[in-house]
Amino acid sequence: MISLNVVLFVSSLMFFIGVAGVLIRRNVLIILMSVELMLNAANLNLIAFSRQSGTVEGQAFALLVMGFAAAEVAIGLALVVALYRRKDTIQADDINLLNG
Amino acid sequence: MNALFITIGQNLFFVFGLLACAGAAAMVLSKSAVHSVLSFLFSMIMVAACFLCLSAEFLGMAQLLIYAGGIVVLFLFVVMLVELTKYKEKSLFALQTKWSIPLILVAMATFAYTMKSNLFNAPASVALTLPPDLVQGLSVSAQNAQSVSRGLFAGFLLPLEILSVILLVSLVGALVLAKSERVA
Repeated sequence: MISLNVVLFVSSLMFFIGVAGVLIRRNVLIILMSVELMLNAANLNLIAFSRQSGTVEGQAFALLVMGFAAAEVAIGLALVVALYRRKDTIQADDINLLNG
Repeated sequence: MNALFITIGQNLFFVFGLLACAGAAAMVLSKSAVHSVLSFLFSMIMVAACFLCLSAEFLGMAQLLIYAGGIVVLFLFVVMLVELTKYKEKSLFALQTKWSIPLILVAMATFAYTMKSNLFNAPASVALTLPPDLVQGLSVSAQNAQSVSRGLFAGFLLPLEILSVILLVSLVGALVLAKSERVA
């Protein structure tokens, strides 16, 4: 059977790939996808702990996290489109108006 | 060959999880944004398979519907709307890459050191249970969607309502943000 350590290993690997995507890519779209990846790693952990403790609360909370992720993606993509209209770029390094 | 198949079947979760991580790495590293989105789709489908392996059937199907069906299509539409081809000559990676790679490696090493102490090595497979006042007329092990919904409405009613308000706000906000200024 699946031991909890295996699940934690896989989800931590996925989380760190998401962190790497946020930190090293310039494209805002890919940064958004990496954030989604990190949320999925957290969901995996929630489901694994729910299975270990035998309660359904983890799965219910994972469902709520999915809903929040959908809302976040809608707002993020609208921001990307607005950014492209206004600044004509979606590269994170080019958006440096707040750079002192 | 047969023994190999049996071993893979026992470690199906690990196989799916590694495939999901491979898709995620391809997403981060690929040059074209469309290839990135397709790798993200592959990764999400594999995560749904992981959920099924963990016997969370309802969440696996919800993952397929929400991510593979909705969010990936949304990303593809935005890739289509935003012209990416003119930035092809620019560098793919951000300025802070040479600082962030060691940072990520240090974080991974810290996590590996934590896991080395075998904190969570219990074989995790307890059957799902519900409080006795919620169980009536339900076989919890066989009906995953019904059990999750009862747990959701018993313990998370207020967060669910807040989530519905947040989804409404994000709907209106996305409309306002993405509205073209010529129309307004």
